[in-house]
Amino acid sequence: MASNVFDRRRINGPQRSVEPLYTAKAAEPFANGRLDGRALDQVRPIFIKTGPLDAQSPSASAPSGSAYYEQGKIRVSCAIYGPRQGRQSNARMGSFDCDFKYAPFSCSWRLSHIKSSDEKEIALMLEHAIGPAIRLEAYPKASIDAFVTVIESDGKAATIAAAINCISAALADAGIELYDSVAACSMSMYGTQWVSDCSQAEENASTCSLLVSRMPSVDEITYLLQHGKTTPEMTTQAIQACSNDCTRVYAVICRYLQATLE
Amino acid sequence: MSNTIAATASVTVTPGRRLGVAQEHEAGSGTYVRNGIIYSSILGTRVISDSSSNNESSAGPKATITVERSNTKFAIPAIGSEILGRVVRMNPRAASVAIMMVGTTPCQEDFQGVVRVQDIRATEKDLVQMIDSFRPGDIVRAEVISLGDQRSYYLATVKNEHGVVFAQSADGNSMVPVSWEEMQDPKTLAVEKRKCAKTF
Repeated sequence: MASNVFDRRRINGPQRSVEPLYTAKAAEPFANGRLDGRALDQVRPIFIKTGPLDAQSPSASAPSGSAYYEQGKIRVSCAIYGPRQGRQSNARMGSFDCDFKYAPFSCSWRLSHIKSSDEKEIALMLEHAIGPAIRLEAYPKASIDAFVTVIESDGKAATIAAAINCISAALADAGIELYDSVAACSMSMYGTQWVSDCSQAEENASTCSLLVSRMPSVDEITYLLQHGKTTPEMTTQAIQACSNDCTRVYAVICRYLQATLE
Repeated sequence: MSNTIAATASVTVTPGRRLGVAQEHEAGSGTYVRNGIIYSSILGTRVISDSSSNNESSAGPKATITVERSNTKFAIPAIGSEILGRVVRMNPRAASVAIMMVGTTPCQEDFQGVVRVQDIRATEKDLVQMIDSFRPGDIVRAEVISLGDQRSYYLATVKNEHGVVFAQSADGNSMVPVSWEEMQDPKTLAVEKRKCAKTF
């Protein structure tokens, strides 16, 4: 019964009552193969577009390079500013800084506009993953800044991998000197089976996740992140399989980059 | 994807592609050398410049492999490069310059440079007056002599072709250089002292 009078002597319930929303029960992730029909070692299809944020005419506020990256439902965009004057100017090498932000609408729960500690931690991860690939000694005293925004997220490890790939494409678009493009891929363990590139539903059902980022031409792993507990043999096996996935992702990134020049 | 590319016409390369062997080619811009192999470092087209064929011996000059990029890359100042900048602030010992261009390439954001009073002229360095050499708002051409300190690059206008290239007089008119140390306002005919660049 709606009433505008507030009864001070009793504990009042809410003035209005609304029926709660029930979401449909999600399908079991690995009940009959994967939800989207992929093989266990198949990575989601990738789409890359470079230069969406570049200005039509050169202006100081436009980024030097940018990229938009899609992998399945994951959408990430990255802008590169630099090389520009750095705050801590090291005479021998430049510095690489990364800024990472989930858009408030990107995850299943609404996030705040203020950067959380999780996002700051991921920004550091991205710096460690991409930093070794940049020829910083070619940019003394300068700083290269990457700003990553996740527009839609689907699987935490997979989204970080997508961010790494997006930054690689944006750096190539900006003309920053690199040793090699960095390609990243993630895997999750379900039971005793490693499954490549898991979506959020599959990751929620898994016990462990692994992220590998790699530079295939120089055959170096730049970053390795594992969440969860496994035996060393399982981790070694997963690193091997994930590295192969990284090489495949690298081929896709290179094909898109080459297509931009043709 | 890391096979050496056959020497054909323009090929698009991504960073990290093998371009050649350091023994047979020189590594030009846009490439780096690792373990004797030349790799590309940017996204661009591979260009093999013909080596000058004067020397027929096996120790003759090698062809240079460069990777070129069609759209402009932003520049950063390097030691020895010529820059174009705007005088922002001055004090009797140094003039702050906002570096806008390095050579013919613009900078994405202005870099900070400083011209110290002893780097303005080659001769009679102790008699130089900052107020007779630059004014805030002047456009100057200078050379980067050092990576400098925490905040600024060190610049010098010692050479004849370096110095003020464009300045406005106190009345707001563009001035014309009349000698290496004077500029004249063509409308009011007032003469102001600047360290002018020899542009001809």
